[in-house]
Amino acid sequence: MTLTRVALQDSESATTSAFAIRQVSKRYGSVMAVDNLSLDFEAGTTTALIGSSGSGKSTVLRLLLGLEWPDRGTVSIGGHPLEPGQVLQLRRRVGYVIQEGGLFPHLTAQGNLALLPHYLGWDAARIGQRTKELAELTHLPLAALERYPAELSGGQRQRVALMRGLMADPDALLLDEPLGALDPIVRYELQDELKRIFAELNKTVILVTHDLPEAAWFAERLVLMRKGAVIQDGCFEDLRDHPADAFVARFVAAQRQLPRVPR
Amino acid sequence: MNHRLLSLLLGAWACMLLPMAGHADPVRIGSKQFTESVILGELARASARQVGIDAVHKRQLGGTRILWRALLQGDIDVYPEYTGTLTHELLKNVPANADIPTLRARLKPLGIGITDSLGFNNTYAIGMRADEAKRLGIARISDLRRHSGLRFGFSNEFMDRNDGWPGLRRRYDLPQKDVRGMDHALAYRALASGAVDAIDLYSTDAEIPYYHLRTLDDDLHYFPRYEAVYLYRLQLEQSAPRFVAALNRLAGRIDEQAMRGMNARVKLQGVEEGVVAADFLGLRADADGHPELWSRLLQRTLEHTKLVLISLGLAVLLAIPLGVLAARLRRFGQIVIGLTGILQTVPSLAMFVFMIPLFGIGAWPAIAALFLYSLLPIVRNTHAGLVGIAPELSESAAALGLPPGVRLRRVELPLATRSILAGIKTAAVINVGTATLAALIGAGGYGQPILTGIRLDDIGLILEGAVPAALLALIVQGMFEGIERWLTPRGLRLVARQ
Repeated sequence: MTLTRVALQDSESATTSAFAIRQVSKRYGSVMAVDNLSLDFEAGTTTALIGSSGSGKSTVLRLLLGLEWPDRGTVSIGGHPLEPGQVLQLRRRVGYVIQEGGLFPHLTAQGNLALLPHYLGWDAARIGQRTKELAELTHLPLAALERYPAELSGGQRQRVALMRGLMADPDALLLDEPLGALDPIVRYELQDELKRIFAELNKTVILVTHDLPEAAWFAERLVLMRKGAVIQDGCFEDLRDHPADAFVARFVAAQRQLPRVPR
Repeated sequence: MNHRLLSLLLGAWACMLLPMAGHADPVRIGSKQFTESVILGELARASARQVGIDAVHKRQLGGTRILWRALLQGDIDVYPEYTGTLTHELLKNVPANADIPTLRARLKPLGIGITDSLGFNNTYAIGMRADEAKRLGIARISDLRRHSGLRFGFSNEFMDRNDGWPGLRRRYDLPQKDVRGMDHALAYRALASGAVDAIDLYSTDAEIPYYHLRTLDDDLHYFPRYEAVYLYRLQLEQSAPRFVAALNRLAGRIDEQAMRGMNARVKLQGVEEGVVAADFLGLRADADGHPELWSRLLQRTLEHTKLVLISLGLAVLLAIPLGVLAARLRRFGQIVIGLTGILQTVPSLAMFVFMIPLFGIGAWPAIAALFLYSLLPIVRNTHAGLVGIAPELSESAAALGLPPGVRLRRVELPLATRSILAGIKTAAVINVGTATLAALIGAGGYGQPILTGIRLDDIGLILEGAVPAALLALIVQGMFEGIERWLTPRGLRLVARQ
């Protein structure tokens, strides 16, 4: 099997977009999930897509992975337009983590991690080495690797899911409500750890969440979406101090039960 | 996981196929599904033994059509027939009173030979209880015209044949409306218990004196002569001339009295057909005519499991890929599930008979029919198992960048294992039951004693087939539960437990 390696970062210019969306529309039946949207994600940055459910933020991730194809407009990765023939290789360069992890219940944690590397033809030693590195990075106890997803705690499942996304050392990580199903304490701890991990990895990270403090905790850049369009794109202070419209103000105000947003 | 399943099935399968390959070529004798025909079949087999020819008797293969077609196609070499059936049913444009030399000339181009009359005329007759006939003053068939309320119970074959009920009604202008088709052996009991008033019968039937029946005079000479003969493939004259000579030596030796006596020994005294036939020829009965219970059971179990396993194995090989395609392509899936569903609605007996022109008689047409019946449960469960996978799981597999084939093998099929196995289990259990009908077309199995038991009104024989069939169904069910535990990934069992 020949693997066309598709670089997400153009080596010649440092500030190329890792992902670019140009005038993209996507409709599910009568619902306009994404409406004439344009967005750029710079390599090495962390961006949070926020908004209420149904705002189209998850659809953006799915478009970037080629899990959905736009009705109109283009999606490009590393300067190359996304095409069906390349989509498998491109997905291998992007780690994807969803709520509750999406781990395969019939495989152990180790089996889940090894699935793609096996297909890529890695030998056992290489898979073991990489697994160990990532277990250290994510603080997953090695004993947990032998367990099935049903035998893992919610936090461990998310760690394994993150490891699975990182196995082939992708250039980017897309996370869709990765902490959404966790109880508050585990969630709080994992927020800390994820932030540390993002900083260590220095990858392009796009994170979808409906939780504004979480978004602000992870990302410099917040993109607030509503009905498939971007309402405001900026840092947390922009949203808080200069809301683009009444909706943004309401969205920010809805979080005020927190005495202070940790920054 | 699926490799294990596959190797398991292929292994079991190869074991079943081996004995089917390369057996010697004994003369194959067929018989219809009533006692006289079976006795005549046994007589032919005993005659073959007498002259040192190896012969097998495929008992009670079915009705006239099945035997005739089997003879023409060379699935059997010999079977007992009646001249009336030849003139009225099997040969076209033959005078109703054609004699045997005329028939011989007409059969020759078909590659079929015919012996002279064995010595008796077993014609159709209409019978009533003697007391009832006397009470109503009925002695001739034309007397029936005056009693339009009488209920008739006719054998299914008599109902449909040109020389049966339709022609009889026209000839005598009979007005009766309550006319039902039923098994010939059951018809006697229906008549005795008063459930019907008149039935068709054969003039050599043992039950005529036993039930005190009166056969009505055929005063308009409707029923043709039914001289008993053997039909055989002419090539036997080259391959087994001594056997053909032996068959011809039987001609003229069996009169009506003798035939009724042999019928009575089998039907009323419960003597094996093989023993009765051997006695007639002055031979000792051989083991084949009367094997031990356990060796009978063993042989039928082998025949039955062979039918079930081969048909099931073939069905798995086709149905799982079909189920996968059905899950991928919506429209195709609807068509495939619709078509296999239609197959399921074909009555089993009809399905078995449809397979005869394609596969002859014996195990293969039965396997083909069972194969078709097995498709739906497996296709439907494979489809359901695959489309029932949580979307986030199929999407996670896609997002990893695995190609569709790897996703199918490593993620989707393992996740659908339980559903697929449940489908195979359903097909297997249904097959065990349906395969009992395969005896009707000469495939043997547990249906054989059930058929014979119905014919001889012997509950013990019926149970000899029905009980092992029920046990086998339970064993198959239990085996599949074991296989399911073995093949279902441990992680999925954990999920199910939570």
